[in-house]
Formats: sequence, C-alpha cells, structure tokens
Amino acid sequence: MPKKSFWLIILFTALFILGINTGDLNFLLNLGSTICLSCIGVG
Amino acid sequence: MNRFRWLIQTLVAFGTNAYLLFPFGGSVIYQGPLKAVCHPGLNCYSCPGALLSCPVGAFQNFMASLRFSTGGIPNLGVIVVGYLGFIGSVVGRLTCGWMCPFGFIQDLIHKIPTPKFTLWKPLRWVKYAVLVVLVVAMPALLVDNSGLGHPWFCKLVCPAGTLEGALPLLFLKPSLWGTVGFFFWNKLTLLILILIAVVFISRFFCRVICPLGAFYSLFSRISLVQLEFVEGNCVECGSCVRKCPTGVVPNQEFDSPECIMCLRCVEACHFSALDFGIRRPPGKPAKVKRVTSPI
Repeated sequence: MPKKSFWLIILFTALFILGINTGDLNFLLNLGSTICLSCIGVG
Repeated sequence: MNRFRWLIQTLVAFGTNAYLLFPFGGSVIYQGPLKAVCHPGLNCYSCPGALLSCPVGAFQNFMASLRFSTGGIPNLGVIVVGYLGFIGSVVGRLTCGWMCPFGFIQDLIHKIPTPKFTLWKPLRWVKYAVLVVLVVAMPALLVDNSGLGHPWFCKLVCPAGTLEGALPLLFLKPSLWGTVGFFFWNKLTLLILILIAVVFISRFFCRVICPLGAFYSLFSRISLVQLEFVEGNCVECGSCVRKCPTGVVPNQEFDSPECIMCLRCVEACHFSALDFGIRRPPGKPAKVKRVTSPI
C-alpha cells in the first residue's frame, strides 16, 4: 500500500471519529429529518 | 464488466432510495436513524424515498450554521469531510462511476440515440469553482441578519435536488406549490438544460458542475486503487478512448481527475494494456503481461 494513501486513510478516519464526538452526527440526523426547502428550491 | 456496473448502479440507486412508506406514513420523507449517514454519491435527502443524507447538502448546512456552534466546539462538518475523504482516499472517483444515483440517471439518459458530442475541455474546471464558491465559501460567508447562511448549491443549481426531491415532493404534497418561487423555476430550467446536455454529452453534469466529483477528483493521483496502464502492451488502437464516458485518453492521461473508473476502457482493451487494482508504490512499474491477440 502506498504510504500517502495509508496516511490519508488514517487522517480521514480520525476526522470522521472526531466529527462523531463533536456532535456532528446529531446535527446530520436533525438535518435529514426535515424537508429541505432550499434543496427543492421552494424556500 | 459493464453489465455488472449497471447492476451495482441499479442496486445502489434503488437500495438507498428504498423508503416506500412515503405515501402511507405520517411524513413524506424518511426521518429514521439512517439519515445520520451520508450517501457516497449525489442523492437528494429530500427525495421521498431517500434513506441517507446528501453529503453536499449536509456539508453546506454545516458551513451555513458555523456561527451557531454550541459547546465551544464549532461544527465544521469534519464528519462529512472525514467520510468523503476516506472514500476518496480508498477508491477516488470510482464512486462516481459505480455508486452515484445521479450519475446512473445520466448514463441512462445518454443512451437516447442521438448524435454525440465531445466536451470543450476547459469546462472541466467549472466544477472546482462550484465546489469552492457555492459549497464552501457562500454558505459560510453570506449570512442573513440572524447569522445563518444558506446551502447555495442546493438553492441555485443542484439538478438532483429538483429531480429527486422537488418534483416528487410537489407531486406528493401539493400544498408546497404555494411556496414555489424564483429558485424553483431557476432550478427546473437548469435541470432541463442539464438533461438536454447529457443526451448529447456523456456525463455532462459530472464533468462540468458536480462539486462532489470535484472533491473526489482531488484524490485521483493518491487513491488506494488506480487504473493502471501497461505501456508495453498498448498498440494505440484507440478503443479505450472511444469507450470512455468522460473523454479521458487512458493511454496518455494517467490518473486523470476526470476518470470515474467505470472500467469500460479495461473491458474494451484486448491487449491487457489497462488494468485495475491496488496502486503500486512509486518506482515499481507494472509488469508487461503476455498479450493475447483478439484475432
């Protein structure tokens, strides 16, 4: 495995775990639970 | 191989939009725990069938609400960056070729028998501007009086949102027609123009506009897997070039940011000059394989 790919995988895994522990997961869950009016262009 | 890819694309598109209770349940969209997970491709989370969140929409909303972070730690959207970065580091733009529902829709539309055209190559750079301006900068910097930004890519451009989200929702929930305004008609016009362009130019949206494709393309030279060119086997017949849906010349443009690793070129090459696998460390060239003549 190339070193660059290996370290990038480690880095992004760490970012993902950091996101889970800083409340991003709840934000994401709340976001997806309502109709996004901007997404559908009516807001 | 191409049939296998079609099967995967179909399974992913329908599997991740498999919420079929929207006509019967209390809500018109799925609101369960799976919405905490992002789709690896572009798939509107307001689609009535969507089980997962859209990574581009989610990241914009993180940027738009930066000023509302609580607990002393700003929500920078690192979960989305980490998730997409992980996918990019492992498979790069293979996701675009195999797992993106909107890419799949484009592949289907491009099958309409008409004369086909090539893309003016400088247009490829537009998607990077879309990523930086509409997905990162504008949602973070253009805020209203309350300090809240807006997901500008979703609001102004996203054709997946119009096709998969707006149109089905307006059909299922007619009361939403009362809120339709400039942004909807602007996006509907863009959707129609993009779909017309896709009929004539393969994967037009992915190559010119898609910010997710732009992000994944940053990993094209460093992703764990790669499309490998075995120079000694190439007879320059050009069959790989004719098959490529994104206009890449596989025997000249190595690790192209435009390559979505659909592997149609690998299938088209009868001389084993193209292969797909784990990236070799620098200085370790591919072995020339024995050429089997197709004749």
